[in-house]
Order: sequence, then C-alpha cells, then structure tokens
Amino acid sequence: MQNNPELEKESDRENGFHKRIKDVDQWWLLVVIVVLLIILLITTKPDPYNRILKFVGDGIWVTLYTTVISFALVLVLGLFGGLGRTSNNKLIRGIASVYVEVVRGVPLLVQLIIWYFAFPAIVKDLGQAWNIQAFMTYKANPIVMAILGMTVCYAAYMSEVYRAGIESIPKGQMEAARSLGMNYFQAMGYVILPQAFRVILPPLGNEFVTLLKDSSLVSVVAVADLTRRGREFMAANFIPIQTWMMVALLYLVMTLIAARAVKWLEKHSRYER
Amino acid sequence: MIMQSDPIIQINNIHKHFGSVHALRGIDLDVQRGEVIVVIGPSGSGKSTLLRCINRLEEFDQGSIVVDGIPLDSAENINAVRTEVGMVFQQFNLFPHLSVLDNVTLAQRIIRKRDKKEAHEVAMELLNKVGIPDKAECYPLQLSGGQQQRVAIARALAMNPKIMLFDEPTSALDPEMIQEVLDVMLTLAKEGMTMVVVSHEMGFARAAADRAILMDDGLIVEQAAPKVLFSQPKEERTKAFLSKVLS
Repeated sequence: MQNNPELEKESDRENGFHKRIKDVDQWWLLVVIVVLLIILLITTKPDPYNRILKFVGDGIWVTLYTTVISFALVLVLGLFGGLGRTSNNKLIRGIASVYVEVVRGVPLLVQLIIWYFAFPAIVKDLGQAWNIQAFMTYKANPIVMAILGMTVCYAAYMSEVYRAGIESIPKGQMEAARSLGMNYFQAMGYVILPQAFRVILPPLGNEFVTLLKDSSLVSVVAVADLTRRGREFMAANFIPIQTWMMVALLYLVMTLIAARAVKWLEKHSRYER
Repeated sequence: MIMQSDPIIQINNIHKHFGSVHALRGIDLDVQRGEVIVVIGPSGSGKSTLLRCINRLEEFDQGSIVVDGIPLDSAENINAVRTEVGMVFQQFNLFPHLSVLDNVTLAQRIIRKRDKKEAHEVAMELLNKVGIPDKAECYPLQLSGGQQQRVAIARALAMNPKIMLFDEPTSALDPEMIQEVLDVMLTLAKEGMTMVVVSHEMGFARAAADRAILMDDGLIVEQAAPKVLFSQPKEERTKAFLSKVLS
C-alpha cells in the first residue's frame, strides 16, 4: 500500500482539501447565514422588509463612516494617550492619566450630549463675554460633534489598550534599541510599537466592534444613523417587531464581518510567516 | 597587550543607589584602548550595573564617566556614546518581529544613514564572521540560543563600535552553545576590540583578557592579569569567591 503512488496522491488530495476547509474561518458561516436571512426576508416579504431596508439604507452609511472616521482618530489620539501613560516624564504621565480616568468615568451618552448641547452653549457664552461674533452665532454640526465625542471617549479606552501593549514588550527590547543609538521615538517606532501592535490587535478589533455598536448612541444628538432612521421608520409606520429585527440584523452583519476581518489580520501578522 | 595610558573609558567615583540599596559605592576604572577586561563577582555585586552605566542604560547618582573623550552628561552626548559602544545582553534581546538580516541592518540605516545595499553588505559580512550567513532570512525565534547571541553580536558590530560591552553573554545558553559564542568573542579580542565582559567563563578570561576584576558589594576588590588573579589572589574575598567558581 505504501508503494501505491495513486493512493498516496489520493490521500494527499484529501488532506489538502480538509486543510483548506479548516483554514477557512468557520465563523464566516454565521455571516453567510445572517446575510441569507436578510435576503430571504426582503425577497419573500418585500413589504415591509424591503421598505425598511430602503428607508434606513442611508443610515447604514452614516453609521459606517462615523464609526470608521472616529476609529481612525481614536487610533492616533489613543497612541498619544498610551505613550503618555507609559512616559517617564511625570507631567506628561499625569496629564494622560487624568484624561483617561475622567473620560472613562463619564458615560458615552452623557459625553455626546455635552459635546452637542453644552459645548456650543459654552462657546456662545464665551462669545458674548469676549464679544466675538463668530462664537455668538456658533452652531454645532451634529456629525462633527458625534465623531468628536466618540473619539475623545474611545481614545481614553484605547490609551489603556496601547499602554498594556507597550508594557507587554520586554524591557530588554527598548534597552537593545537604545544601546544601538536610537532615540526614544526611533526605538518606539521601529522596535516597540510594531511588536505591541501584534499584541493589541485582538482588543483593538474588539474596540472597533464595540464602537460600531455604541455609535447607535449618536442617534440622540441629531445624527441620522441606522438607529435613528429605524426610529423614524417606526414612528411613521408603527411596525416595531419587523423594524427592529431588520435593524438588529443589519448591525449584526456589520459587527460579524468586522470581527472576521480582525481575525484575518491577526492571523496574517504573526512573526514567522 | 596593554597600551601605555590611553584610556578610552574613564570612570571616576561612580555611585549608584537602587532605592535603599547602594549598588555601586565609588568605582574608579580606566579602560585602555584595545584592552579586554573581564569582570567577575557574586550576583548583586554591581558588575552588570557598572557595565550598564558605561552606555547610560543605568543612570548614576554621582561621579563621572567619559567615553572616548565624550562625557556622559547630555542627551546628545549619551546617544553619541551609544553609537560608539556596542552592547550584548544576557537575553540576546533580538527584535523578534524582524528577520536576522533586518535586525543587523536596522540601526545602520536609521542611525548611520547607510543605504539599503551598503547596510546589507555590512550585515552579510558580519553574519559570515559570526558563522551564520545562511540564517539571514530567518526570524530570531527560529534560531538556537547560541545563534541568536551571535546575531546579537553582529548587530552590535554593524554600528562599527569602538567598544563592546558584554553582559553575561553566555549565562542564558545551553552548555554546548557556549563555545560558539566565546569563539566569536575571542576573535574580536584578537582583532584588538576594546571589550568589557561580565562573565564567569574563566577559560575565556585566561585566553583573551588583559585584566580581570573582582567586584563585590559595589566595590572593586582586586584587579590583576587573569593568570595572576586566578592563581595568586591577594584578598580573602577573592580567594573565597574563586574557590566557589573554579571548583
């Protein structure tokens, strides 16, 4: 049997096939199921499901781009926060720590309301006090304020993620880099952060998925996202079960795909390729 | 082999505290150009701390260190000194996210501003020298401890340092890998590199060192040529320590 080349070939092919099946992340199946369910609903019962989808469609885009823009800013601001939290300089560390502790202690919904309602009021008051015309007539843009609010809040959480990642890299790495003559920023950029990034990829992806879901809170500050469009549809038609099932399924597709994407990134950023 | 007085490292009255522990209690040491010094002593005697003070990975509280005419007092000077002083660590500290080749070229390119081709050539030459040119494309974690440490030596040499510091370079290695690292160090010593080595490898000390130093409790207890120090120690402390290490 060992000498039968055809049989060996056969078993090789079988192994290859099984391996390929295993390599495919099985959670993609759930994504497929949810997508099929949505398609099934809008094709078999276009009224109300296709009507709902068409109505909330623009809300999906608003949800997606506020989330993606916020997250991109969170990655940058959070990096500064994380570097601040791990700094040897007491003043920098103090500022970063106060920022993180204060922002983490206030609910995101309250922060969004502050940015959209309280912040413009403060600007107007200042305008009156200093007699600046531009400040007195200041009107907040809901989307800008929503992105700002989510960024400031999530960057505080992200600072802690970065801090944990930086601290997980052995001290010897920084010492080796410095002993070669690199300054702090070179050592961080070329040696510490590339390694820390691999460590924090799972929590990073987790933050993205959480941010995507929390972005539904911006519906209370006049942003026409998926949740707000759902509420508007319900107010006009009053079919809560169908409306919110559709909205929930749409969120689910987005979060499941995001989670798979993170998994893929994780797998393709290991050291030995 | 000791040159007439031309010290490349001048250490004057260095003190270092770790909290309430007085780790270095007034060290004076001149290292001559081309000299090989081996530092021995019990753990906690301050030998690694002294080594780390020379390239300022450790700050000292009092005293002064001048390396190749540059005093270790400002941030620019410290970076300048570090580019002239190579360091090899007990735990290798290779960059695990970079290939062996990239480990050896990284600092050349960003500090020495060499272009890719030149850095590559220097790296391959050094990997040849330490005997593992075939591992250039590997990642550090795919190598044995001895191979990793040799890459670490190549990485330090790629900066063309005037001085090499070795902090217990063979202590984390399996016994059969120690010699391959010591052989590389012996070659370096023969080529006239200035070296300060913290190690208990007596064979290496005898073969390559111009001076052996015994440290204990933050002080230099005794120093002499290795043959003299190991066979006719003057101090009781040295005798006691050597009886444990040599037996």
